[in-house]
Formats: sequence, C-alpha cells, structure tokens
Amino acid sequence: MNTLWPVALITFKEGIRNRALYGITLLALLFFIANFLISGMFMQEVGKVAIDIALSAVSLSGLLLVLFVGINLMAKDLDKKTIYMVLSRPISRSQYILGKFLGMALLIITTMVFLSVCAALSIQLIKMVYPNYFPRFSWPMILLALSFNTLSMILLSALAFFFASFTSTSFITLVLTVIVYIIGQSLSDVKALVDAPQTVGIHVSAATVKLVQLAYYLFPNLSVFNLKIQAAHSLFLPASYILWTVTYGLIYTALAITGAAIIFRLREFP
Amino acid sequence: MMPMIKLTNISKEFKEGIQAKKIKAIDDLVLEVQKGEVFGFLGPNGAGKSTTIKILVNLIRPDKGKALIMDRDVNDTAVRKHVGYLPENPYFYDYLTAEELLWFGGKTTGLSATAIKNRADELFQKVNLENARKRQLRTYSKGMLQRAGLALSLIHDPDVAILDEPMSGLDPLGRKMVGDVILELKARGKTIFFSSHILTDVERFCDRVGIIVAGRLRLVDRLDNLLVGNTKLEDVFLREVEKAGGGIEI
Repeated sequence: MNTLWPVALITFKEGIRNRALYGITLLALLFFIANFLISGMFMQEVGKVAIDIALSAVSLSGLLLVLFVGINLMAKDLDKKTIYMVLSRPISRSQYILGKFLGMALLIITTMVFLSVCAALSIQLIKMVYPNYFPRFSWPMILLALSFNTLSMILLSALAFFFASFTSTSFITLVLTVIVYIIGQSLSDVKALVDAPQTVGIHVSAATVKLVQLAYYLFPNLSVFNLKIQAAHSLFLPASYILWTVTYGLIYTALAITGAAIIFRLREFP
Repeated sequence: MMPMIKLTNISKEFKEGIQAKKIKAIDDLVLEVQKGEVFGFLGPNGAGKSTTIKILVNLIRPDKGKALIMDRDVNDTAVRKHVGYLPENPYFYDYLTAEELLWFGGKTTGLSATAIKNRADELFQKVNLENARKRQLRTYSKGMLQRAGLALSLIHDPDVAILDEPMSGLDPLGRKMVGDVILELKARGKTIFFSSHILTDVERFCDRVGIIVAGRLRLVDRLDNLLVGNTKLEDVFLREVEKAGGGIEI
C-alpha cells in the first residue's frame, strides 16, 4: 500500500487535470441542457425520454473518458518513457499496474459521481416542469443504472490496461478497446439470434454458432450493465441479477488487471 | 570491500525488424564500482551505455550475467530505495507540479511528509527551481525538466546515483549546478555512476572511467593513470574507439 497509493494519487491528479476531461464534462453538461429542449418536444413519454437522454449522456461521457483520458494515462507512460521514472523507484511492475488502475478507477468514480448528480438534476428539473409524464418513476433504479454504468467503465478501463500491457502504442490499445466495447455491447443480441435463428427466418451454420458461443465466454458482456430501459420504465430488477452482475463485473476486472500485471512483469523498457 | 555496483559477464541482445535480426547491445561486460567513487561511463552513440544503465535500474533484463547493487540483485525492488536514477532526456507527468513529483519520489521510498518537505526545500534551492516548484511540469523547458529529474533522483538521499547524460540539455549555469551536485555527493561518500558525452566534465568529476564501444567494455582505468603528461581524455577516447574499429559520433 505504501507504493500503491502514491502511484494511484499521481495517476488521479494527472487525469483530473487533463483538459480532455473538461471537454468531455462540458459535452455532458450540454446534453443535460439539451435534455430540456428535446424532452419538451415529445408530446408523450417525456419522462422516459428525459431519463434515457440523461443516462445516455453519462454513458457516452464515461466511454470518452476511458478511451481518451484513461488509455493515455497508461499508454503515455510507455510512449513518453515516463515509466522510467516510476519503475526506477522501489515499485514492482505489478504494483505499478495496480496503482495506476486504482488511480484510474478513482478518476472514473469521481467523474461519474459528478455527471450522475448533473444527470439527476436534469431529470428532476424536467420532472418538476412535466410532473404528469412521470407516473412510474424510481430514483433507486436510476441510481442503479448510473452505478452499473460506472462499473462497466471500470471494467472497460481494466481491459484497456490489459491491452496496454502488451501493445507498443496507445493507438493499438485504443483500437482494441473500441473493438471489445462494440463486441461487448452487441454480444447478447448476436447470441440470442444464433440460438434461435428460426424466429427471424434465417439459417446459421454450426461453425458460426460455435464462434459466437466462444466469443460469448471470452469477451465481456457489457450489455448486462445497461439498465437504461429498466430505469426509464421503472421496471423491477431481481436482487439476484444485481448481485450476479456486480460479481461478474468485479471478477472480470480482477482477471483483466491480473493478466495485465503478469504480462507487464515480463516486459522490458529499452 | 563490497562493491556498490557489480556487473558480472553481462550480455544483452535486442531483436530488430520484421525478421527479428539480433543486435548485440552488450557483450560480456564486467565492471565494479566502489563506494564513494565517481565513475564516468563513456562511449559513442549506440555503444551500450544507456542499455547498461537500464539493466542497473531493472528496466531491461540481461540475457546473461548478473547485475548487483550493494550486493543485491537489481531485480530486488527494495534495492532501489538506495538508488537514484536520472534517465536521459527525462519526461514526467505533464499536469503534476515539481513539488508533487518530489512528493511521489519521497513517498515511494518511504520518507515521511516532513522529511519530504525539508529535503524538497533543500533540493529545489540546489537545482534552482525554487520559484517554479508549484508550476505544472508541462510548462517547464528541457533544462528545467532535467533539473527537476535530478532533484527527483536525489530526494531520498540515495547511496548510489545513476545519472544518464545528466548535462544533456543544460546551459552552462545548469551544467555547473549539476557539477556542484556531483562534487557534493562525492564529498559525502556517495557512489556516482554517470554517462556523458562531455569529456571535460568527466575529467573534472570522475575518479575512474570506462569506455564502451559496440557493446564491449574496452578500457577501465583511473583518470590519473590515463591523463599522464599532455594526454587528454579525448585522445584516450578516440584511440579506444578507433582500436575497436567503431564509428565515431561525438
């Protein structure tokens, strides 16, 4: 812990002062303001639209944060050789990865809490203007959706760390992270399709089914963290689902960071 | 007496290009540096100086041989509590201040907050960054970064200072300052291992020098043995490079 905390803290400070973060936050704030205008244009379901836009803005900002600030926090150490300064201290490579990741997780949580408060304010103000359009409304569900979104961003940043541990440039890390994000978001739908192709009248080869099944167990299923629909419609969510999803997110994150630490221990920095 | 730095039969190869052609960076390097010594490590560009230094701070692992500092393998994380390292052309976190950089250096070596503050005050004065200590490092010039790097490498008062081209990017005042720091460390019995292309500086500070060409250590001797009569270090250096048949890039 003696060495983890200093690494985590400088990572957090480096991230929170990054100008790209201000740009991302500003974009989210513009979305929240636009939420008033867009929701007001709908003659029905104003509440659902408002919640959906607010949660989507937080979700998009989180993704941009991981892709454009998070990846740089680690990849720049390698690109610019800042890592020389860190690893020449009494810090092991595993401690470096863990410390960096803790700093990144702290940055994601801090930013997401701020954006979540702004999102909640935007929803609350629209609710006050259009109270009749919020017949079924649940703050706990919105809070849960925001928390799950934060957890999915922490998982995505752990995967970015995993890729950065063996790639040579930040660009490759970015590309791999985006690919995994896209696969992770659509994996459930694709699996549902290949499991029951007759429902849409298509034929799927056995090889494709095997490939999709393999991908399903290999890549993270990020769609399980997407609770926008449940929050917008205030749908009931069983406690077992919440527990299972949190466990899944934490285990996947731990595996990605452990993998990153193992690979990083073997790496050299010429 | 136990040597502070001991390199035993170190060899290192790198793979280059798509065909992974092997390039020998260091070949069977044997070297010892004693306590209180200032050792100058010289060689043309690409001779293996920085590779040797990176092996000493465990950024690179040797293919063969052993690297020890204070009789402990450089793989041992704890040994770096006693080592201060200044990389060539150091680059730090853009949005941190120099003060935060030194806090990081102090904390990771187990210093208390008070010890870090006192030591940072002293070092900022020494490297003449007193007025810029609260500025973010992205606003620093190359020379200022070099001085911040020197302060960082010394924050924990290490027994062994490993400095890779410490004069690089510095103006004459900065070079004098680095020279003063090296002399002060020497007076306090610290061991200094530094590489440099500036031979006049090496002549000024070093007790012994080693000349490496194309990965092989060609000569190790005391400066007073080498500089007899009118012989200059430059003559010795050029002679060794020519003997090795290496290209001269100085």
